[in-house]
Amino acid sequence: MNIFIFGLVNSVILALMASGFALVYGVSRLANFAHGALYILVGFATWLFLNRVGVNYIGSIILSIIAVSVLGGVIYRFLLIRVKGMPASEIIASLAIGIAIMELFRWRGFISEAYMLPPFVNGSVSIAGVMIDWQRLIIIGVGLAIMLLLWLFTHHTKVGLSLRAIAQDKHASMMSGIEPDRTAVISLAMGSALSGIAAVVILPLGNITVETGYMVLTNAIAVCIIGGLGSWAGVFAGAFLLGFAEILTAAFIGPQWQMVVVLLFIILTLILKPSGLLGKQKELEERV
Amino acid sequence: MKKSALIDLIGIKMLFILLILLFACVLSPALSFSQPIVLGVPISRGYPDGVDAERGITLAVEEINAAGGVNVGGAKRPFKVEISDTRDLEAGVPVAEALLATERLIIEQKANFIVGGPIRSEAALAAMDVVSKHKTVSILSAGVLSPAYSKRVEENYDKYKYCFRTTGSVVPMIGGTLKTFESIKAKKGFDKAYIMVQDVAHARAAGNLLKEGLEKQGWKVLALEIYPTGTTDFSVGLSKAKDSKAQILIPWFDMPEVSILMKQWFDMKIPALPIGYIHALQDEGTWKATDGKVAYAVVLYAKAGSVATKAIPMSEGFVPNHKKKFGVEPRSEWTSTSYTVVYILKDAIERAKSLNPDTIIPALEKTDMMGTYGRVKFDPKNHQIIENGDPKETAVGMWAQWIDGKRTIVFPDKIATKSLEMPPWMK
Repeated sequence: MNIFIFGLVNSVILALMASGFALVYGVSRLANFAHGALYILVGFATWLFLNRVGVNYIGSIILSIIAVSVLGGVIYRFLLIRVKGMPASEIIASLAIGIAIMELFRWRGFISEAYMLPPFVNGSVSIAGVMIDWQRLIIIGVGLAIMLLLWLFTHHTKVGLSLRAIAQDKHASMMSGIEPDRTAVISLAMGSALSGIAAVVILPLGNITVETGYMVLTNAIAVCIIGGLGSWAGVFAGAFLLGFAEILTAAFIGPQWQMVVVLLFIILTLILKPSGLLGKQKELEERV
Repeated sequence: MKKSALIDLIGIKMLFILLILLFACVLSPALSFSQPIVLGVPISRGYPDGVDAERGITLAVEEINAAGGVNVGGAKRPFKVEISDTRDLEAGVPVAEALLATERLIIEQKANFIVGGPIRSEAALAAMDVVSKHKTVSILSAGVLSPAYSKRVEENYDKYKYCFRTTGSVVPMIGGTLKTFESIKAKKGFDKAYIMVQDVAHARAAGNLLKEGLEKQGWKVLALEIYPTGTTDFSVGLSKAKDSKAQILIPWFDMPEVSILMKQWFDMKIPALPIGYIHALQDEGTWKATDGKVAYAVVLYAKAGSVATKAIPMSEGFVPNHKKKFGVEPRSEWTSTSYTVVYILKDAIERAKSLNPDTIIPALEKTDMMGTYGRVKFDPKNHQIIENGDPKETAVGMWAQWIDGKRTIVFPDKIATKSLEMPPWMK
C-alpha cells in the first residue's frame, strides 16, 4: 500500500512538473527550456508576496501565477518569436532566459534554506495504515483536476480548439483564420501558468532553491522523452512509469539507483521507440 | 606681498597641516595611514555556506578594526577584507575557477593571508598548491571535511606548511558522533539505528564509518541507505524505518531538500528520533519556514558557536553581536569558525610581530586561545585543529535539538543546556 500511495504521489508530481513543458511543445513545437526557471520564479514570488508584501497566501499564489503567465507570453512575444523556426536557437534562447532568471535569484541572495511555502492544510491522515500528509493528497487532487480541466479546455472552448488545430496542422489552421503567433503566446502563457500551479502545490513539501529549477526542467524533459514529446497522454504515461519506477527502485533495490533507472528508461525509449511511448507523430488527435 | 614671502607662508601652512595630521594619526590609530593587512577570502558567495563564512569574517574584522586593529610589532594595522567568488559549490563549475579566484586574491589584491575557503574539498585540496606556491598562509574555516587535507600537510610538511584548517575532519567528527550515540544508548536504552545518507563522498564515508562504529558499540544498524543529491521523496525509507522498529534515524545530508525528509518524518509520525548531520536544518529560520516540523530533530554542527552557551564565553558575545549586525543568529557552523579564524590570525600576528610566513607559521602552530567553539590549538604536524574533548581544552562540535522554536544544545554534555527530548509519538 505504501508503494501504491507514494508511487501515485510521485507520479502526479512528475506529471504536474512536465505538463507546462508538454503543453508548450505540443502547441507551438517550442521546447521551453525556461520552464524550470518559471517554476521557481512562482515559488519565490509567492514567498515574497506572502512574507515581504503582506498579501495573504491565496492572494500571493494568484498574483504569482498571473505574473508568470504574463511573463511567459512576453518571453515569446518579444524574445522567442525572433528565433521561431530555428529549434537550436529556440533552445539556446529559452535556456539562456531560464538561467538568467534562476541566477538572478542566486545573485540577489535567495540562497537560504529558509525559503519555504506553508502547506495548504497541516496534518496527516492514515489511509489503509499509511500515514500521509494532506499536502500530498492535495497534490493528487490538483493534478487530476488540472488534467480534467485541460481536457475540457482543449475540447470544448474556442481557444482550446484553436490550440489543438495549430498543433495538428499549422497551415490548414492558418487558412481557417487562426493566428499561430497568437496561439503560441497563449500556449506559453498557459504553460507558464501550469508550471506555476505545479510550483505552488509541490514546493510546500520542501524548500525553494535555485537548483530546484534545473531539477524540474530535467524531470520535465525526462517525462516528455519517455512519454512522447507533444503527446498529452504520453505525459501521464511517462510520469506514471517513472514515478512508480523510482518508488519501486527505492523500495527493492536502493534509493541511490533511482537516477540510474530513470536514465535507463530514457536510453531504452530512445533505442526502442524514439518518439516516446505515446508520441505518435501521425496520430495528431492525441496531441494537446 | 613679495613672491618669496608668499611661498614661505604657503610652506608654513603646509607644515602646520602635516603636523596636525601626524598628531591625529598618533593619537587616533583609526585615522592612521598604516597599510592594512589584506585577508583574501575565496568563497562560493552564491551558497549559504559562503555567505555564512563571509558574515563571520566581516563581523570579526569590524570588531578588531573598531578596537584599533592588529598590533604588528608596535604598529597598529587594520584588517581589510577582499572577497573572491570561487563558485566551487555550484554544480558543474570546474575546480580551476576556485584556483583562479584564490590566485587572483594573492596576485591582484595582494592578500597577506587567505581565510575562509575554498569550501568544497576538491577545490580546497587543489588550492593547497596555489597558496603554497605563493608562500601565503591559509586557514580554512568553511567546509572541507576531507581527511586528505591534513594528511597532505603531514606527509609533505615543507611544501604545505602554509595550510591550516579549523573546520575539522570527518574522522574526529565521526569519533565525536559515536560518543554522542554511546551516551544516547546509555541514557535512553536505544539500540536500533537506521542510517540515511546523501550520495556524496563525505556522507557515504560518514555512513560507513558510523555503521562500523555503531555496530562495535552494540547497536543494530537496520539499514544504510544512500540517496541521490536532489531526492525529493523519502517516504519509502521512512516507512521501512518504521516497519523495522528503528529507534533513531541518522540522516547525513548537506543538500537543501533534506527539509522534505524532516517534514515527511513529522507528518508520518515515524517513531524514530532523527539525529545527524542535517545541514539545511541548522538555520535559525528553519522552525518558522517549516511550521515547526523540525521539532525534536537533533542537528550536528561541526563546530559549536552558533548557539550561545556559558560553557564557551566567547559564544555569548558572538551570537548577540551577529544578531545585531545581520538580524539573525549565526546560521551554520561556518560563521562561528570564520569569525574565530580572524581572531586566531590576529593573535598569531601579534605574537609573531610580523606578517612574514616564516614567523607566522610557528606562531600559528603555538596557538592557544579560546574561540567561539572552545580552545583553539593546532596539531603542529598536520595543522589540523585539535577537537572533541572538553571545550576548555579543545575545539568542540555541538548537537542542537529543535525545541519550541529554538535550537537548544543537548550534546556534548560539557556544553549542553538541556537534556534530549522525545517527540510525543515516541513517549
